[in-house]
Amino acid sequence: MAHSAYSPRRQVWKWFNPLGRGLGMWAYVLNRVTGLALVLYLYLHLAVLSLLSHGPSSWDGFISLARSRAFLALDVILIAAVLIHGLNGKRVTLLGLGIGMRVQKQLFLALMAIALLGVVVTATKIYGWW
Amino acid sequence: MRVPLRVFRARPGQSAHRDLFVVEVPEAAYVLDAVELAWAHLDRSLMFRHACHHGSCGSCAVRIQGREKLPCITLVKDVWHGKGELRIDPLSNFPLVGDLVVDVGGLFDRLSASEMAITHAVGPGMAPAGERPEGMEQLTRFQTCIECGICVSACPTMATNPHFFGPAALAAVHSARIDDGDPERGRRLLHVVDTEHGIWRCHGAWECSEVCPQGNEPAWRIMDLRRAALGSMARGG
Repeated sequence: MAHSAYSPRRQVWKWFNPLGRGLGMWAYVLNRVTGLALVLYLYLHLAVLSLLSHGPSSWDGFISLARSRAFLALDVILIAAVLIHGLNGKRVTLLGLGIGMRVQKQLFLALMAIALLGVVVTATKIYGWW
Repeated sequence: MRVPLRVFRARPGQSAHRDLFVVEVPEAAYVLDAVELAWAHLDRSLMFRHACHHGSCGSCAVRIQGREKLPCITLVKDVWHGKGELRIDPLSNFPLVGDLVVDVGGLFDRLSASEMAITHAVGPGMAPAGERPEGMEQLTRFQTCIECGICVSACPTMATNPHFFGPAALAAVHSARIDDGDPERGRRLLHVVDTEHGIWRCHGAWECSEVCPQGNEPAWRIMDLRRAALGSMARGG
């Protein structure tokens, strides 16, 4: 059966607007943002690795930048993106299989608490606070 | 209280703008009361839908302060607290007819695919025996969904995929499969939505369940349909 389309206008910005929405929408937006960030990181990572082909001086120069405190903050953000995207991804998988549907909000909060713990532990290790 | 309504105005082919209507409403007024006052006393060209005025027909659905609601059962004081304006916009993800009126044909197109009846039997555990009139063995009630389109408006997948079956219609298929109890019909209905633009297009934002004024829980129903589809696949169906 052919169905008429709803609205012909595509509004991609609605993928990234959780204001006034429920927790599920915040999880949805977070997953998209972290997913795009990780894809961007992948390309940057490959670009950085290509420095190896330019000889030791290029690579050593990058490593000294990578050890700066400002740059280490980017590593913490990367870990946060990985944990958020990965853990919420597990939630999405479970829900998609019909598991945990009645507690999807609680599941999100619990997994994000775990992600936060992971970020704190990682930051502690990266900055050598403990 | 004097309420400043900022209402979306547009006709197809014309650029959109928002008009300001300041109306005097009682403390216990609903948003629809305010809109009707604006229409009656300030601008008779304002287009909006309304019918039952008690949240059972779904006709008046709009976005209030950016959030989908039924204005007939939304108190002004719950969405406007004396500062700024009370913003009213049409539902998203539907073609615009004019002002606050959208074309909900796409929604009803898909609802018809669910072969949905408007009533269903009340199961044995849903009404105490004492409330059943003597001699009446079976109770029926109207389907929970009032076909307001609020879930469609709130769905971020609908914002970019106009061919998505949509939360309301998918929920209707789920309801029809459960209520009917006919395995052959259930298989047929599942086949209708077990498609790229059906149950698998949902990305689990759960906003449809969040905004549904009737508690129909479309998101849960979509995920349950997925469970049914996977089960059917596992059984070689």
